[in-house]
This record gives sequence, structure tokens and C-alpha cells, in this order.
Amino acid sequence: MRTIFRLIGGSLSLSVVLASGPAAAGPLDAPGAAKALACSACHGLGGQSPSNTMPVIAGIAPWYFKKAIEDYAAGRRPSPEMEPYAKYVLEAGVDDLASYFASQPRQPTAVRVDAGAVERGRVASQQCVVCHVESGKGDPAKGIPDLRGQPPGYLANQMLLFKADRRSPGDATLKALKELMKSIPDDQIADLAAYYSSLR
Amino acid sequence: MTRLTRREFLRTSASGAGLALLAAGCGPAIKGDFAPKAGRRVVVIGGGWGGATAAKYLRLADASIEVVLLEPNRQFVSCPFSNLVLSGVRSIDGLTFGYGGLRSHGVRVYHDAASAIEPDVRRVRVGEGYLEYDRLIVSPGVEFQWEQVDGLAAAQDRVLHAWKAGPQTVELARQLAAMPDGGVFVLTVPPVAYRCPPGPYERACQVAWSLKTKKPRSKLVVLDANANVVSKAALFRAAWKDYPNLEYRASNKVVKVDPSTREVTTEFGDRVKYDVINLIPPQRAGTIAVQADLVGADKRWCEVNHLTYESVKHKNVHVIGDSTIGLPVPKSGNIANAMGKICAVAVVHLLNGKEPPAMAPGNTCYSWVNDHEAIAVVNAYRIEGGKVVQIEQKLTPGQSAQWAQNAVGWATSIWQDMLA
Ligand SMILES: Cc1cc2nc3c(=O)[nH]c(=O)nc-3n(C[C@H](O)[C@H](O)[C@H](O)COP(=O)(O)OP(=O)(O)OC[C@H]3O[C@@H](n4cnc5c(N)ncnc54)[C@H](O)[C@@H]3O)c2cc1C
Ligand code: HEC
Ligand code: HEC
Repeated sequence: MRTIFRLIGGSLSLSVVLASGPAAAGPLDAPGAAKALACSACHGLGGQSPSNTMPVIAGIAPWYFKKAIEDYAAGRRPSPEMEPYAKYVLEAGVDDLASYFASQPRQPTAVRVDAGAVERGRVASQQCVVCHVESGKGDPAKGIPDLRGQPPGYLANQMLLFKADRRSPGDATLKALKELMKSIPDDQIADLAAYYSSLR
Repeated sequence: MTRLTRREFLRTSASGAGLALLAAGCGPAIKGDFAPKAGRRVVVIGGGWGGATAAKYLRLADASIEVVLLEPNRQFVSCPFSNLVLSGVRSIDGLTFGYGGLRSHGVRVYHDAASAIEPDVRRVRVGEGYLEYDRLIVSPGVEFQWEQVDGLAAAQDRVLHAWKAGPQTVELARQLAAMPDGGVFVLTVPPVAYRCPPGPYERACQVAWSLKTKKPRSKLVVLDANANVVSKAALFRAAWKDYPNLEYRASNKVVKVDPSTREVTTEFGDRVKYDVINLIPPQRAGTIAVQADLVGADKRWCEVNHLTYESVKHKNVHVIGDSTIGLPVPKSGNIANAMGKICAVAVVHLLNGKEPPAMAPGNTCYSWVNDHEAIAVVNAYRIEGGKVVQIEQKLTPGQSAQWAQNAVGWATSIWQDMLA
């Protein structure tokens, strides 16, 4: 029971308190929420990024969260922003933060995409379904992340980083993905980003 | 005198039972306990980066606590990105936000300044009235030490700082635009510690970029009181290679300004003529913090507990943002935002009789070096033995459009994190 007694004062009858029940857990009561406060400056409250460049991490699968954090901290996935924050996450407790963000309901990005680009991207996505599957939700067993509802700017940027071998450079397990990206012209990358961003 | 109108008052107090009484009777002047406390209350002084964040997160952490925010300005204007207004890359309107988002979280926003703090009786004075609190969060930003530069106090209307985003930013942008080609723009950097270590150098980039593209025969002279560029030195110096019109002079502390001769004088007696001056004065904690004896022996900055941000000088009074000193963190909006969140959670724990969690802030400062590229510095921290300690500082490998896009992403997120 939280603070309802003191708030409303001693004169309050017991029945009212019972009717109101225990105070509903606030958004910062979730386990791990306090440790995640540093993240909202870029990723939004609960990981719900409002911008086109910062990825949505609300609802992120814990296995992928941990892989991303470890890759950033080790410098395998170069990011001047995320390397220090990833080190912070490893010290603060990566499991706590992984389960906190996994428990946050994922809202698709509010950034709008062009319907024509989505349609062109849908056609082009045939190259991706073998790994990312038809729905775009990926496949944890094969280490494939969910792309649905991410901001288009973020998706396009990551594809360009793969194409230039600047995300996880030299990583043998991502060779097939990078070869594929190299074959895709940049304007088609924008279409693919619009398509995956539009998926729900 | 108070600026609280009756309509504004009704709006801010729409959900307040006790407050309705006041609206019914008294005129606009605030007298006595103008908002009697019904339950537990936190008062926040200052609705800038630290205070707005703290007010919102107090409500998120425990909606049973009443939160009153005192902020004289009706609109929030972001200092981050305001250097881009000088170069015309952004407009001030795009950096200006209302306080409606905080109201929708149940924060009572009063557009008035706190005039004094009475820690012994836990009251904040506002004009002739007062407010009671259980805990107080003070985030008044910085005040300028006008007296440190001869002639400055008397010339405040002509010698601009533009170091609090708002009308001065717009006026300085106008002066820059109106400067004849071939003119000299002088920018002075105050000695550390001051608000936003990379800020003056980002401003130098924006002014130099603007002159280079629009007034190619003009020059920017940067007179820095410090011995070197204070932040991201190598990255700024690399960016300045594109600006042969920028003359940087380290260890050139400006001690005098004379608007009648359009001249500044340095510590060593060198005189520099200007067509447009931007003098960023030396700084200290916001005046209310100094008056309330929250500052240390230096009479400039406030020392705080690193876990709760409670003042080391007064109990139940917490200080966040630029006014603080002693943590190994820069005076940045990102840090003020982080402190606001951590302090809010700590205050709620303390009010609920629980031990506050030990949380460290994080920092990222992006700086725009032209109209489409940026650089950044990122700091992560841990708590060690009850103190904030840096884990790592990382710089961008160079300047690029990618960091500029990330800067836009950061700004979009953090403005919402504070105010939406
Ligand atoms: C040009 C420039 C560029 C910058 N760029 C960046 C950047 O890119 N990134 C970054 O992280 N930081 C940046 N900063 C720094 C950032 O703006 C500050 O660190 C931040 O504003 C500090 O927050 P604060 O809450 O301490 O103070 P402020 O945001 O200044 O808020 C203080 C508030 O308190 C109010 N106040 C003062 N006295 C009283 C009183 N007695 N009663 C009631 N209210 C009162 C004021 O009106 C003000 O609104 C920049 C600063 C400048 C000047
Ligand atoms: C200063 C801004 C900033 C802050 C603060 C920040 N991040 Fe990030 N984050 C980014 C950027 C930018 C990226 C994309 C980097 C890249 O290109 O790989 C990212 C990517 C990520 C990703 C990878 C997402 C994906 O789909 O692959 C995760 C996970 C993540 N961040 C978690 C966190 C956590 C947890 C925190 C808080 C401890 C945090 N971030 C704080 C900017 C930030
Ligand atoms: C051979 C399998 C494979 C194929 C084919 C493939 N991907 Fe991927 N993709 C991956 C893997 C594995 C990752 C995760 C990499 C990691 O862990 O860092 C990934 C990650 C991504 C990401 C980054 C997601 C994030 O949150 O950061 C994007 C964007 C992406 N893929 C888009 C595509 C698109 C579009 C296509 C089709 C053109 C495609 N991929 C084809 C395996 C594949």
C-alpha cells in the first residue's frame, strides 16, 4: 500500500481505501526501470523511441538485447554513443535491463513512410524472408532480430552500415547478409526500410 | 509583484481542492500560504532541463505526491540546438515548447519565480506569499557574474551573451545577419566552470560557417579565457581547418568591454575591436541557490550528495543541473535531465521511507560543426563508494552527417523525456 492515507488525510474512511485497493504500480515501479533511466534520453521512456534515428528498444527480445550490448561494449559493433552506455549496462546488470525492456509493450514508430516505397520494399523483401521470415519478426534460433515497426531512418542506416562492412566488421557469421546488402542499390535500401518499418 | 493571472491560476489549479478557495476570493497578488498543502508535496524551482524532468518523473514515480513547479517563463526554450539559430540553420520556434505536457502529468505549474527558501520551516517564498514543501528540488541553472568584466553590467542590453536561449539568441542572430561583410565578430569564452563546455566552440563553428557562406570577407575572433579548447579539442580544431576566417586565441581572458568604442580588453591589456560582440560572462549557480546559502565556500556552485542530490548544506533541499559541482560530469542539458530523473526517484523513495537506489547519470553532447555535420562526446558513469565515477569517455572518430542525424534523434527524444 502506498501513500493514499497520508495523501487524503486521517479523516478518510476505511471503505474508500479498500475500494481503491493497493496503488497501481507506476511506470517506474517495474524491476529494472531505475537502471534504464539513462536510456530514455535517446530511446524514449520505456524504450519507445520517438525519432527517426534512434531504434525502438521497447519489447526487444532479451537474447538480441544482450548480443547487441555485448557487441557494443566489445567494440565489435562500433558506436560512440552505445559503447560507453553498453559498458554501463554490463555493470548495472544486463539481465535486469534485458527483462525490463522486453516487458515494455512495443509501439511501432510514429515516423510516417511513403506508401509507394512500402510497396516497392515489399517486393524487394523476397531477398530477406529466408532469414527474417515473411512476417519480419525474425527467428531467435538463428539469431535473426525483429525488424517490424522500427524507425525507417534507423533501419536504412543499419543496412548501409552492413553494406559498408561497418557494423560488426569482419564478422564471419554475417557474411551472407553483407554480401546481399552490397548487391542492393541505396534507393532500394530506403524502400526496404520503409517496408519493414510499416510492418506490425 | 506576481505575474500569476486568475485564468492561469485556475488552469494550473484545476484539480486542486484547496486551491479553489483562493481563486474564489483574492485578487492576483499572492499572499500567505497561497496553496495550502493537503498531502505530501515536492516543490521544484526552475522548469529548465533539470527541473522539468524532475517534476515529470516525480509524478511518474508516485502519482500520490503533489508536485508544484515554479518557473517564471511561460515557454521552455532549448539551449541545445540554439547555436544553429545564429547560423540560420534552425528557427527559435522549433526549439520552443509549452508546459502543457507537464500539466497533463498532474504537475502544478506556476509561472512565477521563487524569491527565497526557508529550509528551517520548509517553505519557498513567492512574492509576498509562500508554499510549504516536504522536499524541495532546486534547478535554477546559471547566473552571470557581470561584475567580473569591467563595463559589462551597464551594457547588458548591447553586449549580448545569448547563453540562455530566448530573445538574446534571436537578437544576436539578427546582429550577425546585419553585420557588413568585412566586419569582425568577437566571441569570448569564460573561464571554467561554465554551462556547456563544448558550447562556445560549437557556436564558433556556426558563426564561422555562417560568415564563410554569407560574408566571405568577414572574420571571427575567439578570445578564450582558458589555455586550450575546453572540450573535444582535437575534433573542434580539425573542424576549424575549414574555417580560415576563424582566429582562435587561447589564454585571452576578457576583463573589459566598451560598447562606445566597440572594443574589448584582455587581461594582458590587448584591445580587440569588434563589429558584433558575443561576450559569454563568467558564471555561478542561479541566484536563488546563492541567496539560500546552498553554494560552497567559492560562493559559486552547490555541493550535493551523489546519490540523492540532497544539498550538503540544507536538509530536504536537493540541487540538480548546472548549479551543482563536485561530480565528474559536465554542465550539460543531458546531465541535468539525468540528475532530474535520479533525484526524482530518490526523493520519492525518501518520502516513502525507502532507501534510494544508487544510480549513475549518463551524458552525450553533440556539437554541430557546420550546417549538416556534428561531433559528439559520450560519458558513462558508475557509483563507487557513494560517489559518481566515470567508466568511460568516448568521442566520435570525426565529424559526419550521421552524428548530426543522431543529434536530431537525441533532441527529439530528450525534449519529450522532459516535457511530453
Ligand atoms: C548555446 C548552448 C548550447 C548548449 N548545447 C547543449 C547540448 O547540445 N547538449 C547538452 O546536453 N547541453 C547543452 N547546453 C547546456 C544546457 O542548456 C544546460 O546544461 C541546461 O540547461 C542545464 O539545466 P538546468 O536545469 O540546470 O538549467 P536551465 O535549463 O537553465 O533551467 C533553469 C530554469 O530555472 C528558472 N529559474 C531560475 N531562477 C528561478 C527562480 N528563482 N524561481 C523559479 N525559476 C527559476 C529559469 O527561468 C530556467 O528556466 C547548451 C547550453 C548553451 C547555452
Ligand atoms: C546518446 C544516445 C543514446 C543513449 C543515451 C542510449 N543509446 Fe542505445 N542506441 C543509440 C544509437 C545511436 C543506437 C544505434 C547505434 C548503431 O548504429 O548501431 C543505439 C542502439 C541500441 C541498441 C541496439 C538496437 C538494435 O535494434 O540493434 C540497444 C539494445 C540499445 N541501444 C540499448 C540502450 C540502453 C539499454 C541504453 C541505456 C543504458 C541506451 N541504449 C542508451 C543511442 C543511445
Ligand atoms: C542470411 C540471413 C540474413 C538475410 C538474408 C538478411 N538478414 Fe538482416 N540480419 C541478419 C542477422 C543475423 C542480423 C543480426 C545481426 C547482429 O546480430 O548484429 C540481421 C540484422 C538486420 C538488421 C538490423 C536490425 C537491428 O535491429 O539493428 C536489418 C535492418 C536487416 N537485418 C535488414 C535486412 C534486410 C532488409 C534484408 C533483405 C534485403 C536482410 N536483412 C537479409 C540476417 C539476415
